[in-house]
Amino acid sequence: MDLSLSTRTEGDRTVVTVGGEIDVYTAPKLREQLIDLVSSGNYHLVVDMENVDFLDSTGLGVLVGGLKRVRAHEGSLRLVCTQERILKIFRITGLTKVFPIHATVDEALAATD
Amino acid sequence: MAQASAQTQAAPEDVVTIKLPAAGAYLSVLRTATAGLAARLDFTLDEIEDLRIAVDEACAMLLTQAVPGADLECTFALDGDSMRVAVSVLTLDGVEPSRDTFAWTVLSALAGDVDSAAEADNRITITLLKRRSGTAR
Repeated sequence: MDLSLSTRTEGDRTVVTVGGEIDVYTAPKLREQLIDLVSSGNYHLVVDMENVDFLDSTGLGVLVGGLKRVRAHEGSLRLVCTQERILKIFRITGLTKVFPIHATVDEALAATD
Repeated sequence: MAQASAQTQAAPEDVVTIKLPAAGAYLSVLRTATAGLAARLDFTLDEIEDLRIAVDEACAMLLTQAVPGADLECTFALDGDSMRVAVSVLTLDGVEPSRDTFAWTVLSALAGDVDSAAEADNRITITLLKRRSGTAR
């Protein structure tokens, strides 16, 4: 199982749809994607993880890296995830307090704060 | 049926050893093997998922310091109601993984007892023990 990535623009936000497995082998692909987006001026990202089958701490590191990058431009990085097994990893590491996590892409797009 | 097979498995300890290149590309193979072995012990789906992630984290930690071209060795000891996993690799520096990382936090939260050890030849081993739920210690 590999990692699939696609991006689309919704107003001033960019939705990154991630599918498959995020591990030490595939995470660099996601890291590059996030870096490319921020480098080209996309500072408000929504990462849709509903189709992610596996996430480990390497993937968490990439998401935290992305969050730091967008915050340097006063941007945002929101996650969409309802899968309990993925959310568990965020809870264990305390990252549920760091990332806004939404149930749907629409909810993430509508969120302001 | 299920009870009978669980009893059969509980008798002697089966040991499965998997050796594969210390490269990230092989971690998905190891996760699949881990899940298959955990399923043999009638672990719950949640426990199987925990083990899959724990073994992945342990190996990912070791990969960062592995000697290029080295093999990652994983030993799974199946003991009826628990699984002991030891993953090891020859490393460049012989330094045990830091416990102050996301990786170690996830590993230790998902697998009960976790430890690491360094040998004289710079081989680092991470061991973890996962017990099936409802099993007395």
